[in-house]
This record gives sequence, structure tokens and C-alpha cells, in this order.
Amino acid sequence: MLHRGLIISVVAAGLFVASCGQEELPPPPPPPVEEGPNQDSIDAARRAAEEAARRAAEEEARRAAALEAAREALTAMVFFDFDMAEIRSDAEGVLQRKVDVLRASPAVQLRIEGHADERGSSEYNLALGSRRAEAVRQFFVNAGLPESRFDVRSYGEEQPREMGSNEQSWAQNRRDEFVITAGGNQIQVPGGGQ
Amino acid sequence: MRKGVRTANQVRQVGRGGRGRALRRGTALLMVLLAAAAGRAAAQVDTIPGAVRHLGVVYESYVPTLAISPFTGRFGGLTVAPRVEAVIARDLRYSDRFEMMDSIPLAPGGGAVDYGLWDQFGADWLVTGQVEGLGNRFVLVLELHDVVFSEVKERARFSLPRPDAEDFRMAIHAISDDVVRWITGEPGMAASRICFSMESAAGSQELYVVDSDGENLRRLSNFNSLTMSCSWSPDGSRLAFLSFASGDPAIHEMEIATRQTRVLDFNRAGQPMTPVYHPNGEEIIFSLADGAESGLFSWRVREDCCLWRLTAGRWNDLSPSFSPDGRRLAFNSNRLGVAIPQIYVMPAESGGRPDLVSPYLYGQGGYYTSPDWAPSGDRVAFHGRYRRGSYHILIADVAAQGQRLLQLTYEGNNEDPSWAPDGRHLVFVGERDWGFGLFVVDTVSGRIRPVLSGVRPRVPDWSPSLASTEAPTREN
Repeated sequence: MLHRGLIISVVAAGLFVASCGQEELPPPPPPPVEEGPNQDSIDAARRAAEEAARRAAEEEARRAAALEAAREALTAMVFFDFDMAEIRSDAEGVLQRKVDVLRASPAVQLRIEGHADERGSSEYNLALGSRRAEAVRQFFVNAGLPESRFDVRSYGEEQPREMGSNEQSWAQNRRDEFVITAGGNQIQVPGGGQ
Repeated sequence: MRKGVRTANQVRQVGRGGRGRALRRGTALLMVLLAAAAGRAAAQVDTIPGAVRHLGVVYESYVPTLAISPFTGRFGGLTVAPRVEAVIARDLRYSDRFEMMDSIPLAPGGGAVDYGLWDQFGADWLVTGQVEGLGNRFVLVLELHDVVFSEVKERARFSLPRPDAEDFRMAIHAISDDVVRWITGEPGMAASRICFSMESAAGSQELYVVDSDGENLRRLSNFNSLTMSCSWSPDGSRLAFLSFASGDPAIHEMEIATRQTRVLDFNRAGQPMTPVYHPNGEEIIFSLADGAESGLFSWRVREDCCLWRLTAGRWNDLSPSFSPDGRRLAFNSNRLGVAIPQIYVMPAESGGRPDLVSPYLYGQGGYYTSPDWAPSGDRVAFHGRYRRGSYHILIADVAAQGQRLLQLTYEGNNEDPSWAPDGRHLVFVGERDWGFGLFVVDTVSGRIRPVLSGVRPRVPDWSPSLASTEAPTREN
């Protein structure tokens, strides 16, 4: 889901750039008109103003999309193998994007919530969820982020996303979820938001 | 052979056939049970490693036959007598200590007991009862007759709560436990409750409690948040449990009578889990996942102070359970690997080396969790699976360190055993192809009965005997 969001925003940004480029082609020369030069300059000024407003709106939309992408990066889930609390290789990219946003946004604090699938005992799954949450906090700490920015907890197997009793559901339920507990309005887009 | 199958009809047939007592106490039962156990064991492959006995049933040498004569009534007591009799009859059946002869049509009730007739029926013991109206309350006069010796063994008058009172059934349960003690000298389990958690109609997981016979299901909490792992205080008046009620996961304590609840504030980061009371009732032991480390801690409840660390390590120690004398702890740990949790016992005062009691074989995997130390002191119940098999209820002999095990379940998945106060029965969560439920297994006969089905209970804990707090007044 996150991947798709990112891709869409990247593609959208690309289209923006492309369309901006087209707009900057020299406008076709105005047809000769009989009216006075004053009207020409008024039109030109108006067009320039409209262009500036449009660019500002586009810039604002682009920033909003980037911000949304950063927020999504922060809350994107990561998934685990059965009975394991090791970070999977497919989770490393997801976590690295979180690290990038967290580095750019020092006010943001995260709660990491570990979950397990329904197999095994309820109490052991609490411990397993706690290890899964802790594994991610350790990833962040190893990336140089202060431990105090993260709160970890486990809901064990008690709050599944998918109710099915099959591998497809279980795979979705062995996860860490992320909740922004502070600084949600001070998220900065990595790379200065340019 | 017929004695092995304990339907009331066949017991009656045997009784009416007037077969000798010696035959009824014979070895036929043993043969049937052992054959059944062996058959099931043979069909079961890849469950528990070879060092373990696949024996779910232990032979009990002598199962006396207990008859209940229809209860009579005086002064309006007849309106209540059948209800009282029904509760007592079921309790005695659920005690699994007798072959029951009850609900017998045309059985002689009232008047003088004809011991010769009951002896012909095959009864070893006979219970008679008379309920007397006394104003707006009732008194039960109960007699236990030793049919073999043709004499009254015990006689008592019990003042009953009003029949519409909340404690009416529990008071009768306490009387049933008296009958068990009169005959066997051992504690019963009828006057007890089971706490557990399950999802409420509103969708949050809350605490519930149900009587030992599956009646009287009640919700105890309304926190609107995940609440689980309840544990009874030794006097049965309080529960400790994990709840997210205050936002963060915390150990809570509830006074059951008032539902008054408080948070135990350890003033320490980390998620506390799996609380359990020390047998002295003054400490709670729990697991705290704290950074990369985790361990078992104790907390003095009465003084509300003094966090004390019992174990520590880069693994999880959880689900502690005390030996009855409070000197040792069983707990679950994944110190051998995250995917292979095992059961350990160690001295409760920290420092002692933990011993394995689950059947770990190097390189063979296995997953064993949720220990509960038996009231008898020599065994620990837990559940687990071998490789990718199903989860089953097991009992380990503590002294044998995982080399001697009983497997009590063979069907579905089975989790979270908790001992009854009689030290003989276990409650657990069972999953069958029709759904989930709470089940009770008699660890002596291997008999399993559902006590609550159609719900998804989690992590049950069986109370201590509540007979002392709930018993009706005994008048003589």
C-alpha cells in the first residue's frame, strides 16, 4: 500500500515537472491587434499573476503530497515471519524511509505496536509482539535515532487485521503498526522538502 | 466391561443386575481406559517426543457408586428441593469421583432408608436431602449414608440463601464440596469460579467470570480496551490482570465484590504482562518486557512498593506460576530460541538455575507455554506442540525434568490449562471444528467436558475454593 502511494506521488510529481516544462515553452506570439499597447501590458501582467498563482498552488499541492507521503512512510506497517521477531529484508526499505523522515522531523515521536497471529498461546504472543516492536525500535536506535522518541507495546494476537485462519491472514497479522504520538504537525519531508 | 462406560442407564442396569461389588470394582475399567488411551496414542503421530508417555488416562483403583434419592420437602420446601438436588447431583457427577446413580425413576425417597434395597441397586453411598421452608428462607437437611455398613455417615443442616439470591447456587456448590470431603477426605471444586477474557458485544476484550459448572456467566470489566491474563488472589477476593484501560498497558488489581480497580504503578518503563499472586497473597509476580531485556519481577501489593527483579535476560520470561508452598516458580521462557519457548522451574528466590520440565530435545523444536503449578505440588500443567503438530494439554512431573509427561488432550487445539482447587481437574481453552470453548478435563480419568461453548475465551484462571466465603451456614 505504501509502495503504491509512493509510486503514485512520484509519478504525479514527474507529470508536474513534465507539464511545467511544456508550459514554459515560449507562448505563441500574440496576434497583431488594433487595440492600444496599454491593454497588452494589462493582459501580460494578468497572465503573469495567474501563472504565479498557479505555480504557487502546484507547489503547495506538491508539498502537501510529499508531506502525506512522509506521514505514510512513518505509519507504514512492517511484517514478520511465523514465530520470528527478526526484521525481514523486505521491511528494511520501509524502515529506512521512516528513519529518513524521523531524521528530518526531530519533533516526531512514534509508538511501535507489535502484533502476532492467532497461532500459539495468547500470553506468549504478547511477548512475541513485544519482541517485534522492540526489534524495530532497535533498528531505529542503530540508525542513530534516540531511543526516547519511541514507545513500544504489544497487543499480542488480540487485535488481528484479518480474521481468517489461513496463511494469508496470518501473514497480515504478524506485524508492527506505528502511531505518531507527538509532532504530527511538524513532519518535515526528507531532503528539505525541495 | 460395562462398567467402563459410565452412562446412567448402564450403571442402572448393572445396579439392577445386582452384580457383586467386587466385580464392579474390578479391572474391567482399567482395560477399557488403557485400550482407549493406547488406541488414541497409536493413531497420534509426531506429537510429543519419544521419551514421553502417550498416556492420557490413569487408572483409579476404586470408583464408588453414589446414589441420590429424590430430595423431599416440608413446609413448602418441595418447591426448591428439585433445584437443590439437581445442582448437587451435577456437582457430584462433575467431581468425577463417583459412578453416579441419580434421577432414578421410582427410587425410594423419604421415610427410612432401605439399605438392603440400595445395596441391591449397587450403591456404595447414598445421599438423601430434605428442604424445609422456614419463613421466607429454606434449610437443607442432608444425610450421607454408607450403604455398605448400613449407617448414616454424616448429617448436617444448611441454611440456604433465598432461591432468587445471586449466591444461591454457589452456596449449594459448597455443600456438594462438603459431600466430596465427607466421602474422600479431599477438597472439591464445585464452589469455585473461572475467570477469563473474551470479546464483549462492544468489541473490546473484557474480563468475565463463570461458575465451575459453566453457569452464571458474568462480565466483570467494562474498560473498552484489551484486558487479559486474570489471576485470582489466594483468598479469591481479588483479581490481578493486564489491561490497556488507562491507555498504556499496566497491571491492574480488582476487588471483585466492589469491582473497584486500581493500577499498579511500578514507575518503570516497559510492558508488564502475565501477573500472578504469590501464595502469601502479598506479592504479585509478573513479566516486564523492558527494552531489549525482559524478566520476571515481584511487587509488594499491600505496601504498593518495591520492584524486585527475579530473572533477566535478552529473551522473554513470562507466565509465572508458584508452587503451592511459594518456594519455587514455574515459568515460560524462550531463552533457547524465540520459536522454541519451553517450561522451566526455579527457586522463587532468584539466583537458582532454572530446570527444564518441558520435553525439549536439541534440534527438535517444540513449543511449550502457559505453565500452571498443581496444588499437589509435584506437577506442572502446560500446553504445547511438537514440530508443527496441534497444541495439547500436558502435565509434567517436576522431579523428572521433562522425562515424564501425561498428554491429556488428543483432539483439536488446546491452550492455557489452569488447575481446579481440587488439584485434579484442569480448565483449558479448546478449539474444535465447531468452534472454541472452555473445557474441563479430569486428570485422573481423562474425561473431558465442555463447560462453556460458542464463545472464544482466553487465558482462563481457576479460582481457589470459594467455599469458605460462600458456604451456607451449617447449623449443627
